[in-house]
Amino acid sequence: MKIRKRTLFRLVLFVIPDFLLGCFFIYFIFISFFSNTVLYFLLLLLILLFVRSIMYFIRSWIFYKKRANVVMDALYDFKKGKFILPKIDIKHDDELSDVYEEIRILGKHLDSIFTAQKVEIEKFNEVYNSIIFSISSYFIVLNEYERIVFATENFCNKFQFDQDDIKSKRIDDIFYFVNARLKGGIKQARGSGDSIILEKTHLLSINKVSIIADIKISSIIAQGRKEIILLIDDVTSKLRKDYQISLMNQISESIQRDAEIERVLYTILTGVTSGSGLGFNRAMLFLSDGDSLVGKMAVGPDSFEEAIDIWSATPNTDPGNRVDAEVKQHGLKLLEKVLSTTFPLKDDSIFSRSYKNIENIHIFDSWNDPVVGSQIASFMDVKEFVVVPLIVGNRAIGIIIADNKFNQSPIGNDLIELLSIFASQAALSIESYDNLGNVKKEMQKIQDRQEAIVESEKMAAVGRIAAHIAHEIRNPLVTMGGYASRISQLSKDPTKNRDKIVAAAEIILKESERLEGTLSNVMDFTKPAKYIREFNNINDVINDTVKLLRNLLLEKRIHIELDLKDDVPLVKSDFNQMKQVVLNLIQNCIDATLPGGTIGIFTDNDNGRIILKIYDTGTGIEEPDPNIIFEPFFTTKITGVGLGLAIVKRIIKDHNGEISVANREQGVEFTIYLPIPA
Amino acid sequence: MTKLLIVEDEQHQRELYAMELQDEGYDVDQASNGKEAVEMVKTNKYDLVIMDIRMPEMDGIEALGKILSRDKKIPIIIYTAYSNYKSNFMTWTADAYVTKSTNLDELKDKIKEILVSRAS
Repeated sequence: MKIRKRTLFRLVLFVIPDFLLGCFFIYFIFISFFSNTVLYFLLLLLILLFVRSIMYFIRSWIFYKKRANVVMDALYDFKKGKFILPKIDIKHDDELSDVYEEIRILGKHLDSIFTAQKVEIEKFNEVYNSIIFSISSYFIVLNEYERIVFATENFCNKFQFDQDDIKSKRIDDIFYFVNARLKGGIKQARGSGDSIILEKTHLLSINKVSIIADIKISSIIAQGRKEIILLIDDVTSKLRKDYQISLMNQISESIQRDAEIERVLYTILTGVTSGSGLGFNRAMLFLSDGDSLVGKMAVGPDSFEEAIDIWSATPNTDPGNRVDAEVKQHGLKLLEKVLSTTFPLKDDSIFSRSYKNIENIHIFDSWNDPVVGSQIASFMDVKEFVVVPLIVGNRAIGIIIADNKFNQSPIGNDLIELLSIFASQAALSIESYDNLGNVKKEMQKIQDRQEAIVESEKMAAVGRIAAHIAHEIRNPLVTMGGYASRISQLSKDPTKNRDKIVAAAEIILKESERLEGTLSNVMDFTKPAKYIREFNNINDVINDTVKLLRNLLLEKRIHIELDLKDDVPLVKSDFNQMKQVVLNLIQNCIDATLPGGTIGIFTDNDNGRIILKIYDTGTGIEEPDPNIIFEPFFTTKITGVGLGLAIVKRIIKDHNGEISVANREQGVEFTIYLPIPA
Repeated sequence: MTKLLIVEDEQHQRELYAMELQDEGYDVDQASNGKEAVEMVKTNKYDLVIMDIRMPEMDGIEALGKILSRDKKIPIIIYTAYSNYKSNFMTWTADAYVTKSTNLDELKDKIKEILVSRAS
C-alpha cells in the first residue's frame, strides 16, 4: 500500500515528535516514581504542554500560511477579472493544493463563459449602435442629476457640439433657453415614468442653431438608476412647408375678405418671420411712393428677451390665429422706427439699388462692407441681412428687408429663395389690393352715374334687369353668329358638308326664335300701362317674375322660397301689370335684405279671395304705421323717387284688391287680397 | 395632346365650341353644368377648363371654387355672356375672363396664351 506523501509528511512532522514526547513523558513518570520527585513530575508536565503548543503554532504558521497565500492570490486575480491561473506546483500534496487546483479549473470555466458573453455583448453593442446611428431623430440621455451621459453623433453635428465635451453638461448649458414645457416634461417623466410627447418645441442651441422639434421624453432604469431619454424629431422643414402653405392661403383670403392693407402687410411679414425656427427673426417692408421707399410694416421682437418670449411659445402652424391676434403685440419700437423711416430713391443706397435693379442683396458684414453706408448700418444694427425687391410684372413696387438679429444664425441660400418666393407672392397681393381699390372706385362711379340716370322706379327696375336681358340676348346671338361663321367655313365644300350646314342653319333658326321670345318678354315691361283683363293664374305671374330676377337674387346671394298653392283659382287681371306688382315688391325686399337672407312668396285660397304674401328677412320699416310706404313719393333710399310701391297700390286698387304691409320679427310681410270672380 | 374641358349648359353653344376647338387641334371634353365639370376634373386630367357662369345645378363660380380647391394649378377661363361678374372676387381666381362673342378668336388666343405661359 502506497503511503501518500502528505500522510508521510504529517507522520514525520507531527505524529513522530508527539510520539517521542509521549515516550519521554512516560520515561520521566517512571523515574519520578522511583525517586519520589513529584515536583519534577509537575514541572515536566508544564514543559511538555509548552513544547506541544509551540509545535502547534509552528505547524499552522509555517506550513499553511504560505500556501493559503497562493489561494488568496488566485482569488484576487478572480476579482480583477483574470480567470486563467498559472499552474503552480505546490510542493506538499495537501488539501490546499487540491483547493487551488479546483479554483484553477473553475477559473478556466468562468473564463470561457465570460469570453463567450463578451463576444455576444459586443455583437449587441454593434447592433444597437448601428440602430442609434441609423435613426434620423436625435437623442440624448440624461442621468438622475439631469446631466447628459450620452448624445448621438447627429445631435452633436446638428447643434455643433463636441461629442465628448457635451458629456456631464446640463441641458440648460447647451440650449439658450429651455422652456417650462420641456422642464416640466422631464420632471413628469422622472416622476411618473410615463412617456411624454412635446410637439413643436423650439430649441435654440448656444451655438445659435435652432430647430422646431417634437420631443419624446421617457424614463428608463439603467443599472438601478433612473435615466431620461429625450428623442428629438426635427420637424422644422415640415412645419415650415405647412406654415407657408396655410400662410399663402391666409394672404389671399385676407385680401379677398377686403381686410385693411395693414393687416395684409402684417400677414405677409409674419410669413417671412414665422417664429425663429422657421424663418427670419425680423422683417421690414418698404413700399415705393415714386420718390422714396416708405416704411409700411415691420414684424419682429425688439429685444432678445422678447424674442425668447415669443419663441418659447409653441409655434402655431395655423396663421389664422396668429394674424387675427393683435397686430402690434411685439416689436412696437421696431414698427415705430420703420413707420417713421423713408429712404429717398435718388440716394444710391443698397435699398434703392435693390429696388431699381430688381436684385437680391445679401450683406454679410454691414459694419465693414463699404456699400452699406453708415446710415443703413445704424438703422439695421445687425451684421448680416438681406434685401429682396417686391416685383410685379417687370417692375419693383418696394422691398422686404430681413435679418436674424437675435439668434444670429447665418442666412442660407434656401432662406433667401424662400424670401424671394414670398416677396413675389406679397407683391402680387399688394398689387391686387391696389387694383381692388381702383375697381371699387370705378364701380362706385358707374353706380353713381347709373343711379343718376335712372329717374323713375319703373326705369330703375328695368335698369336692374338690363344686365339679365343683355345676357338673355347675347347668348342666342353668340350661338347664331358662331354657327353662321361655321356655315361660311363649311360652304367652301357644300356637297361634302351639306348635312352639317343644314344642322347649323336649324340651330340658328331655333336660336332666333328664342331671341324673339325673349324680346317680346322684355317688351311686355316697357309697354304703356293699359289694362288688359284676362283670366290669369297668379302663380304663373310669380314664376315668370322670379325667373326674371333669378340672376339678381343669385348675385345678391338671397335665397327665394316659393310656397304656391297648386289649384289656385284664376283671377281676372292684367298679366303684365300683375308682374309689375310682384316685381316691384320683390325689388323692394331685395333692397332691404342682406346677402344670405331669404325672400318668401306664398299663395292660397282665402274665403272667396286669393291671398298673396311676400315677405323678407330684411331691415323692416321704422315707422309708426308701416303702410305709409305705399304713399307716393315716400322713400328711404338715397336715389329713387318713391313711386314703386305707390304704383303697386294703384294697380291692386284697380283690380279691386287690397294691399297691406306689417313688420315681422325680422323683415316685413306684404299681404295682397284679390277677388275671385263669381 | 392638349386636353380641354368645356363647361356650358347651352347645348348648341357647347357643341359649337367643341367643334371649333377640335379644329384647332385640341382634345375637347364637354360638361353641361358645374357639377358635371367637378366630377370630370376628379377623374380626368385637363390642361385647361373653359367655364360658363350661369348654369343649372351648380353655377360656374361655385364649380370654379370647387375645382381650384382640388387643384390650384389647373388653368380656368371664365367664358360668359355676363360682363358684370368681372367685378366678382371669385372670378379673379380664374386665369382669364372672356365675354362671349360671335367671334371665337379672343377665346382661342387666350387659351393659347395661357397654355404657353403655363408651359414655360
